Amino acid sequence: MLPEENALMPVRAPSLVAEAINDLSVREDAKKNLAQMEGKYRGLLEAAPDAMVVVNEDGEIVLLNLQAEKQFGYRRDELLGQKVTNIIPEGFAERLIADDLRSAEDALTQQIGAGIELTALRKDGSEFPIELMLSPLESAEGILVTAAIRNISVRRKADEHLAQMEGRYRGLLEAAPDAMVVVNKGGEIVLLNVQAEKQFGYRRDELLGQKVTNIIPVGFAERLIADDLRSAEDALAQQIGTGIELTALRKDGSEFPIELMLSPLESAEGTLVTAAIRDISVRRKADEHLAQMEGRYRGLLEAAPDAMVVVNQAGEIVLLNVQAEKQFEYSRDELIGQKVKNIIPEGFAERLVADGLRSAEEALAQQIGTGIELHGRRKNGSEFPIELMLSPLESVEGTLVTAAIRDITTRKRAESHLLQKVEELNRSNEELQQFANIASHDLQEPLRMVASYTQLLSRRYKGKLDSDADEFIAFAVDGASRMQRLIHDLLAYSRVGTKGKDLLDTSSEDALQLALLNLRGAIEDSGALVSHDPLPMVRADEMQLTQLFQNLVGNAIKYQKPGIPKVHVSAIIDDEKKWNFSVRDNGLGIDPQYFEKIFGMFQRLHKREEFAGTGIGLAICKKIVERHGGKISVESLPGEGATFRFTLAGIERKS
Amino acid sequence: MKSDENGKESRRIEVLLVEDSPGDVRLTQEAFREANGAIQLNVTTDGIEAMAFLRKQGDHADAPRPDIILLDLNLPKMDGREVLAQIKNDDNLKTIPTVILTTSDAEADIIKSYQLKANCYLSKPVQLAAFETLVKSINDFWLTKVHLPPHG
Repeated sequence: MLPEENALMPVRAPSLVAEAINDLSVREDAKKNLAQMEGKYRGLLEAAPDAMVVVNEDGEIVLLNLQAEKQFGYRRDELLGQKVTNIIPEGFAERLIADDLRSAEDALTQQIGAGIELTALRKDGSEFPIELMLSPLESAEGILVTAAIRNISVRRKADEHLAQMEGRYRGLLEAAPDAMVVVNKGGEIVLLNVQAEKQFGYRRDELLGQKVTNIIPVGFAERLIADDLRSAEDALAQQIGTGIELTALRKDGSEFPIELMLSPLESAEGTLVTAAIRDISVRRKADEHLAQMEGRYRGLLEAAPDAMVVVNQAGEIVLLNVQAEKQFEYSRDELIGQKVKNIIPEGFAERLVADGLRSAEEALAQQIGTGIELHGRRKNGSEFPIELMLSPLESVEGTLVTAAIRDITTRKRAESHLLQKVEELNRSNEELQQFANIASHDLQEPLRMVASYTQLLSRRYKGKLDSDADEFIAFAVDGASRMQRLIHDLLAYSRVGTKGKDLLDTSSEDALQLALLNLRGAIEDSGALVSHDPLPMVRADEMQLTQLFQNLVGNAIKYQKPGIPKVHVSAIIDDEKKWNFSVRDNGLGIDPQYFEKIFGMFQRLHKREEFAGTGIGLAICKKIVERHGGKISVESLPGEGATFRFTLAGIERKS
Repeated sequence: MKSDENGKESRRIEVLLVEDSPGDVRLTQEAFREANGAIQLNVTTDGIEAMAFLRKQGDHADAPRPDIILLDLNLPKMDGREVLAQIKNDDNLKTIPTVILTTSDAEADIIKSYQLKANCYLSKPVQLAAFETLVKSINDFWLTKVHLPPHG
């Protein structure tokens, strides 16, 4: 019974086969059968591309084809009936034999269809690698085994080359920061590094030999393919060195953005393509974040009244508002990514930079919230003064710096205008001082003439003219005298400022004594009693302090009611180490409504007939006290005397 | 020469007043008239004329050599300081006592005048009586008590 077809089913009667082998007559029959079978299968065997041998259960070759003869270097008759171990010393025959664990059928079954790599032996004794594919063949003689033997020495060599290449490039590949895959012209992955495994979530052996489209579905393989316009080399050449942004696919089906850099790799297998695959999801995210941030801050930025730029730590502008565009006269895209030095040449970028003494954060921290005055530069090169306010802005890109830039041209102009006005004011003040001084001095000259000659007139002609003449002359003499006092006092007032001396340690008691000496006549005439407490050392211009006492004590004696004028001078120190002087009298006193007024120029509370005076005395007092950094005031009730108070700084303690 | 205490040599005393203000000239004349009748008050009204008088030049060829000069500081043409400097740098003139008589009481003027070797510095008082007293004391001191250098 012969099977009509080359069934893969194992034959079921091994015992019969065994019996037949032991039986010589059966053997003869077998030969006949074999010849028959050979006739039937010859065509098939010879058509096969591989070497084919058919082996019986004893491991003897019962059939072979021409390719087998060639491959092993034997003639047909040299192999027929020979043990297959002669040509495949190990691993074949053994596989056909039953052992304790399995029957011969089972043993064979396990091998069916599987490529078994073994070593074959030629007649000349040389070895070569083979791949064996087994299939059963039922025959009258029992189950035979058909073995297709493929010489895989070429493939082995290629594998070895690849392994070699892999060995050679492995180091390079693994050293690369990016995922790397090497792809052949068939679009198959022939090499990859650990980063590629990690990035795509595959094991190495899961990717080797696989189509690269499995991990980069679109846009990579296509680029390696020739079309009508270009060869495969040209196609590749166009891609070399350019970053191609594509989408990659992980084993788990998730996608991520990549940037691909291709380079050619010559090998025994032809030109391979090395692809460096960079995961740009972080960069993408940063871009997105920035876009998001821009979206988020845009409103804020645009709402700001000042020009705003956001700068990264490299000093590049990453964000700006419309005001910044206007102020610097650039369009947004001309500034984004540019160095901030282009618009603020000095003093900004430097402040963001770390030096030996401080970190970048500290450098920035020092500037936060303080207005820095710098210069901005417009696109046309013109500069304008700016005030910069910095604040930090945390982002995925690191700390950014937000700079509010205020054009302070107007303020600067106002400042310089103010400065100019102050200067003018100072000058005019000085001129006024000088004017007062010169005017009062020069006024004295003609006045001296008027006064002198009216006095001379009065002396020589009084009683010699009529009574009207005497009266007129008397008015002229009086007017001239008053004018002289006025000019004298005005001069004294202006000299408080212009002729003032440095403030030195001065005995206020000495100053009072000098004043009393000057007032000797008035004191004697009025019979006044002037007393004082011990008085301190103060910081003062002694001449002016003397004048101050003289004016105050003089007033105290002058503005009296009938009786004995009493004046007392004292001083106490206050919490601020200032001496509070008081000059107290028992005179007429002053109505509180005039307390302020009496220190003004030409302010008089009495008729000329009652008390002579120019109304400058207390104005001089005020000016002297203020020049000493003190204050003057008065307390009084009408009819109960007055107390003038003023403050002076004490001398500095020398310890 | 000087007037003797007992007035024996009642030679005329020559005073040169350099003063541009006619009012002051007259006042000074009045004051000297009261103080000492023997004084001849010669007057020049600017610095140039004063030097011409002292050097007997031009119209002043017959001018007397003054016993004392009363010099105002603020004068037209050549001011009092320059006149003072020329007098004190002139070997012939520097022995004549030169009294500064001015309205200025500025410290700078006082110092400058003494640096230029003024013999004394007097400020004109504002009040007539005080001025008269001052002129009297000039007479009493410079023209009475002081020994002046001999003429020539």
